[in-house]
Amino acid sequence: MVVDGVTTASFDELVEIETNEGERRLGKVLEVGSGKAVVQVFEGTTGLAITGTRVKFLGKTMAMPVSQELLGRVFDGLGRPNDGLPDPVADKFLDVNGEPMNPQSREYPTSFIQTGVSVIDGMLTLVRGQKLPIFSGSGMSHNILAAQIARQATVVGTNEDFAVVFAAIGVQYSEAQYFKRSLEESGALKRSVLFVNLADDPAIERIITPRVALTVAEYLAFDLGMHVLALLTDMTNYAEALREISAAREEVPGRKGYPGYLYTDLANNYERAGRIKGKNGSVTQMPILSMPADDITHPIPDLTGYITEGQVVLGRDLFRKGIYPPVNVMMSLSRLMKDGVGEGKTRSDHMEVGNQLYDAYSRAQEVRALAEIVGKAGLTGVDLKYLDAGDSFETHFLKQSPDENRNLDETLSRAWDILATLPEGELTKIKDKHIQQYYKGNK
Amino acid sequence: MSLNSLERTIDKVLSQKESTLISEIDSALQNSLKNLESSKSSLQVEYDSIIESSKKQAENLKRQIIGSSTLNARNKELVIIESAIDEIFIMAKEKLAKSNNEKNYEKLLTRLIQDSSAKLGSEIVIQCNKTDLNLVKKLVSQESSNRKSKITVSNEVVDIIGGIKAASVDGTMSLDNTLDSNIETLKPLIRKRIVQLLRGENK
Repeated sequence: MVVDGVTTASFDELVEIETNEGERRLGKVLEVGSGKAVVQVFEGTTGLAITGTRVKFLGKTMAMPVSQELLGRVFDGLGRPNDGLPDPVADKFLDVNGEPMNPQSREYPTSFIQTGVSVIDGMLTLVRGQKLPIFSGSGMSHNILAAQIARQATVVGTNEDFAVVFAAIGVQYSEAQYFKRSLEESGALKRSVLFVNLADDPAIERIITPRVALTVAEYLAFDLGMHVLALLTDMTNYAEALREISAAREEVPGRKGYPGYLYTDLANNYERAGRIKGKNGSVTQMPILSMPADDITHPIPDLTGYITEGQVVLGRDLFRKGIYPPVNVMMSLSRLMKDGVGEGKTRSDHMEVGNQLYDAYSRAQEVRALAEIVGKAGLTGVDLKYLDAGDSFETHFLKQSPDENRNLDETLSRAWDILATLPEGELTKIKDKHIQQYYKGNK
Repeated sequence: MSLNSLERTIDKVLSQKESTLISEIDSALQNSLKNLESSKSSLQVEYDSIIESSKKQAENLKRQIIGSSTLNARNKELVIIESAIDEIFIMAKEKLAKSNNEKNYEKLLTRLIQDSSAKLGSEIVIQCNKTDLNLVKKLVSQESSNRKSKITVSNEVVDIIGGIKAASVDGTMSLDNTLDSNIETLKPLIRKRIVQLLRGENK
């Protein structure tokens, strides 16, 4: 919408539009100049008449009312209550664009978050303050995984408060209902804040949703000292909304039509995770994105991968085999795992077991490929054991029920069960003392 | 073969068969006992796992019930507080509507007229409620002579509790400087204070 005769409007300024019928909508200024302002209306421009529509420039950017009362509430993509309850009473109003975290005051993430999902806790450990995306594909079980993590995630061994901020971006109504029901039925909603932007909501609202969610996450973390896990699903929908608005503004397109500033824009969101020196809380981010055509070189996962600290990749083959969660560990990595596990943090054998599982599964994959050519009869005894270990890894460790919450001891015990199928001499990544303590195979 | 040797052979076969059968029965018994023993331990494992999973389910259920009850109670509290806030606002508005005789109100109206004129330009049209009409006319005439601005007071009254609505002469720009609108703007801050008072918090 273009508003004429505007002299003092500012970029990103919030605008209130009043229709002939007295309906009020919100929008924000995208461009100003030559006495005109380009305003993107959050609720869409359908039904707006050229004559009689009134526009009010509010002289402020979009702000989110924040307080502890947000916990247990459900909001729409713009932060308005969506659960039939009144507006939350605000402690303060925060600009949704946030303030950049001073790199000098960032604290290195080193504390473990338990998700209750074996493959993540055991091999791709999430650390408080980390940003670890989940790369998925169309139709795969990323939303089930996201909901499971939201229900189960916890900080083990401390009494510090933990909260989940869940932003559903451009999801279908049924998915939104699933997230809400899942959190309600597990009793996890009381420590969660849910933002739901539906697929049929206007594109501009989709741009705001992660910002609003991260503003709340920052408040809970750095004002109230909570450890916050922010789950953003699906960031592909976000990037597509960004492309739509960029095209409407006639900007020069970059790769696959996405704007040239896609990297900067994604970084603006992803970098709102971390810990701050002298403050108790933390914001940990798990953005979830579905890769178009499972293409990991697509601009969205590609640029995301540059910014985040590792990735959890879901594999189509495992998904087809009916394995949940279908995490392709060979493509996945948590770059901060090494700093968040081990003696005094989780368990002294954690890192070594994780590495050994990588090694064993990688070897199992090679042996599987070899068996396709020469047949099982052509394999050595050790190769056959790796083959068993690979199968066991998928069925006993990777596979778990969406409502199964495994603690770290159980996860590591399952890992040792798999390693028990291998001869002791094959455990080259594990220290002798840990083999003595935990190895269950024939010595 | 003599009858005796035949009987001996038969006896021998029978005795061999008997011992084989006895040993097979023994071994079957041993196997059964072993199976029973191993079943016991596997049953124990099964039993333990059922108990363990039941405990987990019970724990989940407990967490779920406590979580949803706490949340429901909190949500009911929010609804009650909100209705109290609404009542307080209604009472406050009624009180404000009756306060147009006070000296402060005259000052406030003067400030609102000046503010509207500063924002929309020197030529503006002002609307107010029926009760304030004469007062606004008086204040506008004072203001017009002081500032040499052309402010018109419309005889079309509006249904507001106080304050004024201003618009540019061509109607393209308008400014809602009513008490209703100012209350709405300040509502989030006022609500916070009301909630603090209701909850006995003294911040």
